[in-house]
Amino acid sequence: MAQTTRSTRLKNILLILSVIGPGLVTATADNDASGIATYAMVGSMFGYKMLWGLFLITISLAVIQEMAARMGVVTGKGLSDLIRENFGVKMTFFAMVTLLIANFTTTVGEFAGIAASLEIFGISKYISVPLTSFFVWYIINKGSYKKTEKFFLGLMVIYVSYIISGFLAKPDWKEVFKNTFIPSFSFEPSFVLIFIAMIGTTITPWMQFYLQSSVVDKGVSVKNIKYQRWDVFLGAFWTDFIAFFIVVATAATLYKHGIRIETAEDAAKALEPFAGKYASGLFAIGLFGASLLGAHILPLSTAYAITEAFGFENGLDKKFKEAPVFYGIILLFIVIGAGIILLPNIPLIKLMIVAQEINGILLPIILVYMLKLTNDKEIMGEYVNSKLFNVIAWVTVVFIIILTLILLVQPFLNI
Amino acid sequence: MPNVTSFYLSRVIGNKVFSEEKKVVGRLLDLIVDASYIRPKVIAAKVKSGGQTQIVDFSFFIIYKEKGQYVIETRNLKPIDVKKEDTIMLVRHILDKQIVDMNGRKVVRVNDIRLAVLSTGVYVIAVDIGFEGLLRRLGLAKPLKRVLKPLGKNIPSRLILWDDVQPLASPRLDLKLSTTYSKLATLHPSDLADIIEELDKKTQAYIFSTLDEEKAADVLEELEVEAQRNVLESLPVEKVADVLEKMPADEVADILDEIKEERAEELLNSMEKEASEEVKELMEYPENSVGAIMTTDFISFKTHFTVEQTIEELRRLKPEPDEIYYLYVVDNEEKLCGVVSLRDLVISEPQTPLYEIMNRDVVCVKDTDNVNSLVEIISKYSLLAVPVVNESKKLIGVVIINDIVYELLKMKRKLLL
Repeated sequence: MAQTTRSTRLKNILLILSVIGPGLVTATADNDASGIATYAMVGSMFGYKMLWGLFLITISLAVIQEMAARMGVVTGKGLSDLIRENFGVKMTFFAMVTLLIANFTTTVGEFAGIAASLEIFGISKYISVPLTSFFVWYIINKGSYKKTEKFFLGLMVIYVSYIISGFLAKPDWKEVFKNTFIPSFSFEPSFVLIFIAMIGTTITPWMQFYLQSSVVDKGVSVKNIKYQRWDVFLGAFWTDFIAFFIVVATAATLYKHGIRIETAEDAAKALEPFAGKYASGLFAIGLFGASLLGAHILPLSTAYAITEAFGFENGLDKKFKEAPVFYGIILLFIVIGAGIILLPNIPLIKLMIVAQEINGILLPIILVYMLKLTNDKEIMGEYVNSKLFNVIAWVTVVFIIILTLILLVQPFLNI
Repeated sequence: MPNVTSFYLSRVIGNKVFSEEKKVVGRLLDLIVDASYIRPKVIAAKVKSGGQTQIVDFSFFIIYKEKGQYVIETRNLKPIDVKKEDTIMLVRHILDKQIVDMNGRKVVRVNDIRLAVLSTGVYVIAVDIGFEGLLRRLGLAKPLKRVLKPLGKNIPSRLILWDDVQPLASPRLDLKLSTTYSKLATLHPSDLADIIEELDKKTQAYIFSTLDEEKAADVLEELEVEAQRNVLESLPVEKVADVLEKMPADEVADILDEIKEERAEELLNSMEKEASEEVKELMEYPENSVGAIMTTDFISFKTHFTVEQTIEELRRLKPEPDEIYYLYVVDNEEKLCGVVSLRDLVISEPQTPLYEIMNRDVVCVKDTDNVNSLVEIISKYSLLAVPVVNESKKLIGVVIINDIVYELLKMKRKLLL
């Protein structure tokens, strides 16, 4: 009998492992170039003051990602499919334009990250960006994308160095904890902007589409929905755990000494005195991996979402001629995204943060679609949102809209 | 003035419905057609009037054009009962949804629907899956055409006649046509499998459940592992078990290897005992052994059978083409002792016993041998099939060249990955 209990336990573990993946992968990919730049900016400009926000965002992130994953499990369809089937062409067009803008700016951010990370090693962007964009196009077309994805995810394990440096920076832990749980706010435009960017980089429109498709791909059955939930929650926690330490590390070093980061090099250098001379190199490799992965995921997932919604041919097993819209979107994203970075005097870090601000401002639109879908009994059956989830998601939506409004009216009010 | 001969659904949906006195009586939400016709006829309309939605008889409606706009007029908003069976709601079930293009044999999304106005009523004639339909829905088709016209260019449009369309119902949309999947069943199993693979998991299972057992078995064989797994795990055990019984035991063993153990056991227990025993035996072989890929569906004859008896037996069994590449001959203990080809059989006298014409020099493999050794044997002796024996030389199965090719492709793919 002992053997059967052992084998059922083994089965349970295998079951959990078979479900885990999409949530954790999406979350890890979420700490991309723009993410790191944004968190580093948060820490260096405002110290620990935004940690409470990060704490609350983690809860929102977990809830929103869970909604996407649950939709994938219950309906077996991607988010853009569901939007098209339930809201018609006009609303789909609106959602897709939103996604296109948000994803395009993020793609530019990823190429900025590639340029910035390799500049730390002294490689000019005029060499790194054309080469990597060619590489991205090649991998998407010819190589095994799934394998590449795993490789770059592996590179990002290097982020653990941030946790170490967070400790080595000897932050004032009392301050850290106080700021994590007690909110403080400022109506300064830069504060509001960076706050929106922080939400925008943590909860992004593309993640919802990407995660839902991965869950559908994985084919998780409704019976295992609770394991899927843990995968997503774990992912949300992990992504923000790292973000937390990036903020703490930069706050304890750069903010304390009044240094504002202008380049990725600054952010990397911030680690050097505390985590040793390899830290900046490690950081650069992590940033490079994250950016390169993002540069793959964003064009690809945008192309899938748009072609699925409008019924164009898609799929990597098709040729360019058979699926021109699909490949066209990918090619445009890569060529124009990389092209912008090659313009002289482009401020890379600034660009990454602007991308996140746009993400943050456009996020409520996608969230409203998701909320409508996840509350539709006809679509979700017994798996509609719980009250608590609705409250958290709506509060997130309303909060971002308020922040955006503050940003818009500020110049006129002179606060 | 019914001067309209045909129109697009998107041009009338959401429009106001007028009475004969030109008063607004409601808003058109949907059109309901009777799908039992080859060209479905609009029989009812879903109208929102006075804050509530109702289904009304379409025979009181006329549609005409005035100043370039479509006007919907009705003499009467008479509620009508429509049966769920054999009716389709065009907006709810077709517009923006996926359908199967039977000629292109693929899944496409519907951008618009074309209807024709005849003296006998309004009929669905085609679905629009092209770019123009998309732009029309966005209100961009006309202005864009105006711009393109001087340039001598046009927006490509793609219509599929309703005859070549198969709507895809899902249980969620409560579309349950008695004839829904009749068209799909006419497709070749591998085309049908390709279509099923493109769909979401619920629809996959739903469509599969509408196929008859024979067809379902053929399609299941052609499906990719992931879709197989989904079908096997989401359909009722009895249904799947019935389908599996129609499949060759080695295919079943392969498929069951891919799904959860509990489910596989459940399925095996629901299958007829004879069939499931065979599958179970096959499943016990290690992955790279001959036993794992052999089929147990083979025909053998006893040494003392005459040519006449053998041919009669073949007529009775009506074996599949690949089962009669070679006819194996066994003794009373089922031990393999020879092989007879169809040619030998046909040219011999009816009363000749098999042991006189059989070739005693049979090339065979053991069930525990490695798959790699098969490839060598098959190519060395140019065989189409190899018999498989167990420890005590008993004939227990056959490996057909198709299975080896499949196995080789699988290995090659693994090496590439």
